[in-house]
Amino acid sequence: MSTVDRPLRIGVLSFAHPHIEAYAHALRAHDVEVFGTDVGSFDAGTVRGRELAERMGVEYLDDVDAVLDRRPDAVIVTAENAQHAELALRAIEAGAHVLCEKPLTTSIDSAVGLVAAAEEAGVRLMTAYPVRFAPSFRALVQTARRGDLGEIVAITGTNNGRIPLGDRSWFTDADRAGGGALVDHVVHCADLIDELLGEPAADVFATANRVLHADRGVQVETGGVVSISYPSGVIATIDCSWSQPDNADTWGGLTLEVHGTEGSMRIDPFADHVGGFDADGGVWSPFGVDLDQLLIDEFLAAVRESRDPRPDGRVGVRTLAIVDAAQRSLAVQAPVALNPAAV
Amino acid sequence: MKAVMSSSTTPLRVGLIGAGGISHAHVPGWLEIGADVSVYSLAGAEGLAAQYGLTAVDSLDQLWDRVEVVDIVTPTATHHELALEAIRRGKHVICEKPLALSAAEAVEIEHAAAIAGVRLFPAHVVRYFPQFAGARAAIASGRIGRPGVFRFRRQSAAPAASWFFDEAISGGIVMDQMIHDLDQAEWLAGPVGRVFARLRRSDAGPSPVVTAQVVLDHESGAISHVHGAWGNSALPFSYSFDLAGDRGVLRYDSARDDGVRLAIGIQSSGGYLPVDDGSPSPYTAELIDFVHAIRDGGEARVSPADGIRAVRIAEAAMRSIESGLPVDMDAGGQPSDALPTLIGAQR
Repeated sequence: MSTVDRPLRIGVLSFAHPHIEAYAHALRAHDVEVFGTDVGSFDAGTVRGRELAERMGVEYLDDVDAVLDRRPDAVIVTAENAQHAELALRAIEAGAHVLCEKPLTTSIDSAVGLVAAAEEAGVRLMTAYPVRFAPSFRALVQTARRGDLGEIVAITGTNNGRIPLGDRSWFTDADRAGGGALVDHVVHCADLIDELLGEPAADVFATANRVLHADRGVQVETGGVVSISYPSGVIATIDCSWSQPDNADTWGGLTLEVHGTEGSMRIDPFADHVGGFDADGGVWSPFGVDLDQLLIDEFLAAVRESRDPRPDGRVGVRTLAIVDAAQRSLAVQAPVALNPAAV
Repeated sequence: MKAVMSSSTTPLRVGLIGAGGISHAHVPGWLEIGADVSVYSLAGAEGLAAQYGLTAVDSLDQLWDRVEVVDIVTPTATHHELALEAIRRGKHVICEKPLALSAAEAVEIEHAAAIAGVRLFPAHVVRYFPQFAGARAAIASGRIGRPGVFRFRRQSAAPAASWFFDEAISGGIVMDQMIHDLDQAEWLAGPVGRVFARLRRSDAGPSPVVTAQVVLDHESGAISHVHGAWGNSALPFSYSFDLAGDRGVLRYDSARDDGVRLAIGIQSSGGYLPVDDGSPSPYTAELIDFVHAIRDGGEARVSPADGIRAVRIAEAAMRSIESGLPVDMDAGGQPSDALPTLIGAQR
């Protein structure tokens, strides 16, 4: 295993997902050269493309070919969900390691194909699950692995946020996002549970509705609950609803509550904040470690050290498989087994 | 609520059946009301009577002669027989939730009470918790708009009395503990149309642990999910809700309630009932409401139909746990006052 000592060349494919701003900021802590191009159709009045690149300190190139022609060591794909597979595959074929925004893709087949392509090309594939780096989640994993919770029996996950309307309308477009709240918000909790239990899900039941934001013309599900069983007998639910009001003090949050035979533990990784009031209303000033920084640190370390990043592409497939099963469950109104190709 | 005894100078004669854990939540209410309380129980009646200044009696027959209202606080499996017997004797019946172990039995109790012309009150005390009553008032006034996704959680250390774990006696966690929030889901978001549930019990630890997760689809299109846990011995009692509508969210978590801080050297973890924080007891509020309804013939906040309905939803959840499939609620037995109607009328 060789390590790379020179500055890494990082290409960015698409600025569709606003997380790219956090990743670009995190990259500044490293000895890297960052260039990229924006892909996808922009909403009117939004800062995208060259203008956003300048703001982020990213060198702007004309198109995907131009980015890949620069022979990047690694590529960050922050495209619309439906474009992940194609762009990540092109990066892999160009010999670049890939950090792909979640969800990995919008179909099990394309996700499995992506993992296989990366392995064949000898490059690393990472799925962007920053919550996994939360200190409270690390503490939960350690507590569970120490045996302090006993045998885990049940998990309740919530990931509620504001509806991503406004300057990124693709999030609520079924064709471009692959679905609605189920696609956007199930995978983070699913990833944490995957890491905690170390086993893929067995079957999934889901229900969803479109009560929240119904008056805003949204055509995808805006509320939903997914119920999951695991082979060890653990039961879990994930509330993925876009239920945080627009005028709330913060974007939303994620919680995970775990019950075991000898202990229970609940984490709320986004709870830390200084609160108060200013002239405009409530103040929510978050503090704590920068999870996006830790995610980028891990990706670059894996690239430099030629090792698999964690979370990897495979967990991207397993978590996508829960979304896929949830969508199939909605169609048949019954629990469905996970797609075996995903596990 | 105003003092209930103002309309009468004769103390209400109440027969308490049972002297277990929950009797200690009911008795202070009866004393506040000024009731004359007789207690019968297979065990513990003398001790309870001595503690609170009640009259212990040795048999149900002695009890019937002394009282006009009975308050049944026994394990669930006995509710049906005791309620029917009390109704036959012409007594008004207050019965701890669940009203019975099955909806069929609950309906039988309701019919018997209707025929006998006595009142029947399933004691769904959570409707008298100001947190839930406040949420209902806010929803009814349109504060959060149309109910979208509602979440309820209730957890504690596993009850020490082993009968809670015996499904034949208590109905298990869904019927005994989660029925509170199943009732709330319907009280706050309207009739439930479909139920899906999973349950997990483990005896691998020092004491049994059981958890269940119930997902409800309401007829209005709203979703509720209800989480219950009888967990490890250190798990404090807590409950919470997160009620998202299309215009806002209502939240409460008793674990984050900061109204009282207590630091004493006594081991206070565990326990399946709320800690006394000095606020008026919802159990007392519930009993006062029932007595008012008896005295003036009006409706209480919880009706026999509500009690039956809660058992029906719990039964559907248990059928779902058994089959692994979602279960449609049958059309029979609608709740007494569904909120979406109220909301619809206002918007």
